[in-house]
Amino acid sequence: MSEQTINHEGQLRRVLAALRRDPLALTGSLVLVVLVVVGVGGSWLAPSGINEVNVDQMLQPPSWAHPFGTDELGRDVLSRVMVAARVSLQVGLVSVGIALVVGATLGLFAGYYRGWLDNVLMRCMDVLFAFPVLLLAVAIVAVLGPGLVTAMVAIGVVYTPIFARVTRAGVLSVREQVFVRAAVSVGASDLRIMRRHVLPNIAAPLIVQTSLSLAFAILSEAALSFLGLGVQPPDPAWGRMLFDGRGFVTDAWWLGFFPGAAIFLTVLAFNLVGDALRDVLDPRQLTVSEARRSTA
Amino acid sequence: MSRTRFRLAGATIALMLAAAAGCSGGEGVDVDGNDTAGAGGVLNAAIGGEPDQLDPHKTSAYYSFQVLENVFDTLVEPDANLEMKPSLATEWTTSEDQLTWTFTLREGVKFSDGSPLTAEDVVYSYNRIIDEKLNNAYKFGTVKSIEATDPKTVVVTLNAPTPNLLANLGGFKGVAIVQKANVESGEITTKPVGSGPFAVENYSSGDSIRLVRNDNYWGEKPKLDGVRYTFVSDPTVALQNLRGGEVHWTDNLPPQQVPALLDGDDPTVQSVPSTDYWYLALNQARKPYDDVNVRRAIAFALDREAITKAAKFGLATVNQTAIPQNSAFYYEYAPYTHDVNQAKQLLDQAGVNGLTMDLMVTNEYPETVTAAQVIASQLEAVGITVEIRTLDFAQWLDEQGAGKFDSFMLGWLGNIDPDEFYYAQHHSDGTFNFHEYANPNVDRLLDQARTETDQAARKQQYEQVAKQIVDDASYIYLYNPDVAQGWSKQVSGYEVRTDRAIRFRDVALAR
Repeated sequence: MSEQTINHEGQLRRVLAALRRDPLALTGSLVLVVLVVVGVGGSWLAPSGINEVNVDQMLQPPSWAHPFGTDELGRDVLSRVMVAARVSLQVGLVSVGIALVVGATLGLFAGYYRGWLDNVLMRCMDVLFAFPVLLLAVAIVAVLGPGLVTAMVAIGVVYTPIFARVTRAGVLSVREQVFVRAAVSVGASDLRIMRRHVLPNIAAPLIVQTSLSLAFAILSEAALSFLGLGVQPPDPAWGRMLFDGRGFVTDAWWLGFFPGAAIFLTVLAFNLVGDALRDVLDPRQLTVSEARRSTA
Repeated sequence: MSRTRFRLAGATIALMLAAAAGCSGGEGVDVDGNDTAGAGGVLNAAIGGEPDQLDPHKTSAYYSFQVLENVFDTLVEPDANLEMKPSLATEWTTSEDQLTWTFTLREGVKFSDGSPLTAEDVVYSYNRIIDEKLNNAYKFGTVKSIEATDPKTVVVTLNAPTPNLLANLGGFKGVAIVQKANVESGEITTKPVGSGPFAVENYSSGDSIRLVRNDNYWGEKPKLDGVRYTFVSDPTVALQNLRGGEVHWTDNLPPQQVPALLDGDDPTVQSVPSTDYWYLALNQARKPYDDVNVRRAIAFALDREAITKAAKFGLATVNQTAIPQNSAFYYEYAPYTHDVNQAKQLLDQAGVNGLTMDLMVTNEYPETVTAAQVIASQLEAVGITVEIRTLDFAQWLDEQGAGKFDSFMLGWLGNIDPDEFYYAQHHSDGTFNFHEYANPNVDRLLDQARTETDQAARKQQYEQVAKQIVDDASYIYLYNPDVAQGWSKQVSGYEVRTDRAIRFRDVALAR
């Protein structure tokens, strides 16, 4: 046990050092730190209330009073962009969390036990995988009804197969390792072997996949709320703000520009960090980038 | 789904005859100097969505009526001032007791396929609406029987005097005269046959609807060779198409740009006050909205100017009653000033605090989503938390029908007679009284006014109705929007109508 712990600490140090050396990853990390601060403290940090409607102030261009201008109801766009960061983070974390837990569990069982269980589980995943991401998410939301929670569930379901696949691929090679056979021979239970010996050894690709999936989950949330299927007005969400600003592109560019920029920066930051993590943790892992491309 | 959509859309359309009445101008720009086939050109019209079907008796979508207005005729039709004028019927007489109306049909009217339109067709059309209980059956509520006494004469017998019978029979194309063979073949849903100035040539779903000039039309022949409707849901795109010349006419303009467009002259954009109204309804079957003080508190808490500005960018007139100022039945009554203290006081009286109110709106009408956010912020000021629920329209209608709402916002389009403004919505037996308002006094007045033949007395009865409805906050009325439409400089002879009827029969296209 102690040896494993030391090993992990060494790996963490290695990762941090690598991130420091890579200017892009460093930039990405800084953006993420800002995002998390804004996401957690958005309501306190925001200069105005997100639902302070003042139609006499509608569609004001950016100024010192309203650095991002005001929207068609006279609300402060900066404040809404800030508070919406929480929604994006929340959806990203929860939905990827769902995908990670469910996907990794299924992949673990499928890869470890093989046989008919593997076949059944992975064919189900294949079916899910065959749908275009957004189409499946829209279908799920259509069934469950629009809203923040259903958006999170939908995105979680959509990203589950990729975690199942990544996990299973890792398990297939690890289960043949000598230390696993050794554990079997001394009579360790299957659950204990999976938890103690298999999971820690497939953590790297999962971490990389998580980081990259966060970017795409946030993008999916923006797409869903753009379609009116995510967070419901008057609560702000970047995608919804983009949608509402669409009719004003010629007269009030700031309505669409700032939420759009927020989505862009966030997704870019997660991708930069994810790429850097992959380089450090798993230089040979090609399936991740392939899988990522296929979900884009 | 049909009912409210019909309501919304329904009364929105109207007539053909105005050719004679209103639009005599129409200086067609005749490029070739002679009227050869193909010289008139095809007008490209962009509408905001696709019709669900083209059966005028069954559709309830305004998009359908934007097309059908040019395809069908009614016995009478509203002119530019919404007065009923002859169309298929050239004249009519009313018996002494007001219970028998005799209509004389125009000579030589033919459907677009060349078959004659006779009194039998009128009888068939009306009986179809009544017997199949279609959307507009309520317009025939007082009709006992309809008979064709000869090919040119239709006799309508009533159970009770019906002063607004003409508006019921001609207010819009939802009561159009259809052809029996066309209905029975089922073709009416995609290729309807009417007697109007144009005929449907081709309906290609998801793409366009093409109309061609009906050479059998009884009135002055249209100058256009045809009209091609395309469906452009994004108003920004529609405006771009209009500017770029792909489209000659559209009513789907981005509201926020209309004020600036009205000042320009290319494209031509005109806006007129409409007969539509938008309102907030509170579900009186649920507590605490059964308490008139709660409803009045909400009425006092609203700043209608702000709501109107946000929802319509100034292209609307604030109104606390339903009927707009340009109607003969307008009743000036505005007891609700924006007064937060008054609202709080009324809520206290009702013993209500910390109220959370569900407000149902629909993406189909984005102004309801916008207005709801303003309403939410205004009600927050009096301690009411509003939870906005944005649904697609089909689901919205289901919830409304099932009474599953605290409140909703919607509008009624194109009503003409005060009976249409009030009866179905506020009579305790009204078919659209989903918010379960019941006031015996209002019921009595509505029943009485429905059959009152003395116009002055009738107007007075409707004023009492209006006052009571506003005082009871049955509907909390918000505004009457303007209707804005735009067309390219090539188009001449088009007029924006207050009932939103889209008539292309007098339009000419310069090329």
